[in-house]
Amino acid sequence: MFASVFFRLFSMKGDIMLRHWLIVLIAVLFEVGWVVGLKHAHTPLAWIVTVIAVCFTFYLLLVAGKYLPVGTVYTVFAGLGTAGTVLVGAFVFGESLNAIKIVLLLLLMAGVIGLKLVTPASTETEGDS
Amino acid sequence: MAWVAIILAGFCEVFGVAMMNRFQLDRKLSTVLLLIISFGVSLLLLSYAMNTVSMGIAYAVWTGIGTVGGALVGMIFFGESTNWRRILFIIMILTAAVGLKLAS
Repeated sequence: MFASVFFRLFSMKGDIMLRHWLIVLIAVLFEVGWVVGLKHAHTPLAWIVTVIAVCFTFYLLLVAGKYLPVGTVYTVFAGLGTAGTVLVGAFVFGESLNAIKIVLLLLLMAGVIGLKLVTPASTETEGDS
Repeated sequence: MAWVAIILAGFCEVFGVAMMNRFQLDRKLSTVLLLIISFGVSLLLLSYAMNTVSMGIAYAVWTGIGTVGGALVGMIFFGESTNWRRILFIIMILTAAVGLKLAS
């Protein structure tokens, strides 16, 4: 089932931009997945799955970056990845979160996104689509 | 120690990204090996840090250090612009990271 969903996603007709933004969202899910793995994997199998998730995240971002502006992809990815990790940590694994930490996390995210946006891209894959 | 590990993990990530860029130019096996080792060490250090620091905060600070490190390497070694906005965002990230360390 998992494989068929992927096949459909990659072969889906229609809006090519939308399809690639969906790929970015899936990359975020895998990113959050491997971060959870780094903390909670305790068996060899869990570690293997974690490493595969790392590689697959990279792959999905490379695919998305071919059709979407790389800077924007990274910005959306980093923002959602951080938010997703914090939220999963707090609500699934009961990690402590308070107002001060949330403000500091938002400041950090704003800094990362801001820095990426004002840094001129040096790769030729950067597009304006 | 956990926070030292996060900082080192961030540096390893910056080195890994640098190797990724170098591979696009030289296509050497040694570059790929350095790339894999640096990302591997980075993730191991991050995983170690997560034993004591919460997952969300460790990941966020790791991302922040990686981004700041990448920008600093660009500024120092590749003559990228050092305009005030970049410096401001770097200070923002570092302030937030220190604050998160103190709040944890």
